[in-house]
Amino acid sequence: MVVFFKAGSELRHKLQPDVDYYTRRVETEPGRTVREILKDLGLDPAFVAFVYVEGKVKNLDYVPTEGQNLTLQPPVSGG
Amino acid sequence: MARGFAGTTLRIDLGTGAIRRQPTDEALFRRWHGGRGVVAKICYDEVPRDADPLGPKNVFIMNTSPMSGCLIPAGSKVEFGSVSPLTNGQGDSNMGGHLGPALKFAGYDMVIFTGISPRPVFLFIDNDTVELRDASGLWGMKSLDCEKKLKDELGEDYEIATIGPAGENGILFSCITHDFGRQAGRTGQGAVMGSKKLKAIAVRGNRSLHVHDMDGLIRHVTSIIKRTQKHPNMEPWQKYGTAFFISWSNDNAVIPTRNFQTTYYEDTNKIDGDQLVEKCLITHKACFGCWMNCGKYTKAVIPGKPEVHLEGPEYETGSLCGSNLGMKDINHVAYINWMLDNLGMDSMSGGGVIGFGMECFERGLITEKDLEGHSLRWGSVDDVEHFLDMVANRRGVGDWFAGGTKRAAEKIGRGSEKFAMQVKGQEMSGYDGRWAPGMLLSYMTADIGAHHNRSWTITVDMAEGRESVEGRAKIVVYLQHIRPLMDTWCICRLFWGELDITPEEIVETLNLITGWGVNPEECLRASEMIWNLNRCHYLERNKANGRTFDYPPARSWEDKIPSGPGKGKGVSREQVEQMLDEYYAARGWDSKGNPTRAVLEDLGLKDAADNVERLGLLGVPIPGGIPPVRGEKYKPKAF
Repeated sequence: MVVFFKAGSELRHKLQPDVDYYTRRVETEPGRTVREILKDLGLDPAFVAFVYVEGKVKNLDYVPTEGQNLTLQPPVSGG
Repeated sequence: MARGFAGTTLRIDLGTGAIRRQPTDEALFRRWHGGRGVVAKICYDEVPRDADPLGPKNVFIMNTSPMSGCLIPAGSKVEFGSVSPLTNGQGDSNMGGHLGPALKFAGYDMVIFTGISPRPVFLFIDNDTVELRDASGLWGMKSLDCEKKLKDELGEDYEIATIGPAGENGILFSCITHDFGRQAGRTGQGAVMGSKKLKAIAVRGNRSLHVHDMDGLIRHVTSIIKRTQKHPNMEPWQKYGTAFFISWSNDNAVIPTRNFQTTYYEDTNKIDGDQLVEKCLITHKACFGCWMNCGKYTKAVIPGKPEVHLEGPEYETGSLCGSNLGMKDINHVAYINWMLDNLGMDSMSGGGVIGFGMECFERGLITEKDLEGHSLRWGSVDDVEHFLDMVANRRGVGDWFAGGTKRAAEKIGRGSEKFAMQVKGQEMSGYDGRWAPGMLLSYMTADIGAHHNRSWTITVDMAEGRESVEGRAKIVVYLQHIRPLMDTWCICRLFWGELDITPEEIVETLNLITGWGVNPEECLRASEMIWNLNRCHYLERNKANGRTFDYPPARSWEDKIPSGPGKGKGVSREQVEQMLDEYYAARGWDSKGNPTRAVLEDLGLKDAADNVERLGLLGVPIPGGIPPVRGEKYKPKAF
């Protein structure tokens, strides 16, 4: 299964995009949570505050489906 | 005069009512850049060291930058500054909205107030018309109500800043409010405004600003706009603002809970951003020149209380008035936010003061007898409402808390100083630094007291190792130079930190507007100059070695985090001392925390070196000399 992670700011460097400036193509097994996929990529989930998918905020327990675009949102550096 | 400036500075003697127009001093702005930099220099030069911050000899300044009101992302900020009654050092605070650009459009770069008016007044500016008008009928009004009344009377197109009863009554953490929810909250600028009997400022302007290279500026900023519109962070920001980070703070053991007793809040899901959007959101709201619209205009609905409208709560207020007070309903958090806004109190310090009061009540250090028969329990919005009324009107023990947590602890005693969560008199922001040592060091060393917006290091702490403190000092120094530059330029920090606009791009914008031809390294040097000037100002006013003032409350090292993901974690006293040693070395200061002549003269601050030397507070020379680069080397990317 393929999903697409997007990230900007400091997270972009950790994600290492390969599709375009912000996007990385990720192959994973169905049923895995975002948290698990991040760990598979070697990316510490603590640096991701939430994921933004199809206009909604989801936590890292979200299970993506085939072809979804998920934006990884870093924590705000001071509100 | 370089382009970008409106060209005129107003000097207003509130004691006599005299209003003078002066050409804006471009050389002053060229050296100190604007915003907090110019404000710091004027306060240092003009306020006697023994002047009462709430007396006639303090100045009160409203300032902009050459970029304010021009074509630049979110050049909306207006900076207020004076010697702070809360910290007794240089104070500054800024807010977004539309007031700064309006001042420029009216033809003015800066307004400097001195003296005290014999009666309540408000400043009225409509292009060439500048008047002090009677505010007797406004005195006593709450902040939001006063803004509405002035809008109704003058017209919707006036930009209004007001203070509330807190500012009138000299509550030391009073704020200035604008645009029904934007606040210059920190360092008690509202109290200074109130001490001068200045109730409000109303500005309308419709003039043009001229820039050095209009075609270049349009090309440059258009490319920034197009890029940021595609940025992955943009849409979540537009929809949700900052309130959505409460859960993350909880998961990562930095959220202040019940007056910073712990960093885990079991009811986070009741006060988090999704609750705000679901239950309170009315509409999104943007400042001047911003397409992010991170502001959230909301309502708070509580049975038995009037429905109230406000902007927020954003992350800081959401945590400090939410988890920090044990609130279990987002409507209650929003209602407390509204009460603080309308009374004219900083909602960050306000949350800290209430939380401190709640812990004092829990420990029996204040009782129902002290609270006019009321309680002050975690999670009770009714208790908070009564307590704030006591504080705003300085009734009974409310008078103790009117000076903030530091002064309240001095009155209450009995060990309460340990959990008065402040540094230099200013309450901590919405992050606990016990398992984020860089954040703790940021609070300890910030020039205006414990405030995150000088340096925020939580993710740095996570990346570098939360158990260790080594190397953190250089990063904090670097951030203390680059981050406050946004307040010097009077632009919103979020485009830099969250949408990847680089410092180079901002400096290029500054050059296209002014024609100055500055570079980022030069700007960072100006920022270091401001930091050192403020340090000298603090030492000169408080007359002791700098290290004396740089310690957090003892809870920060005596109490390990008792629950949640951070259970058992915390820094030691030895680590606190180590961080200070490394911080002073990174700044080229001596081990007592005093700036050395070498670093001050390197920054062009010989007069400040002479001044602190006369007090015996000049740092002793450092063996081997000062480091050529103070802090980290310049990094083009933000953390």
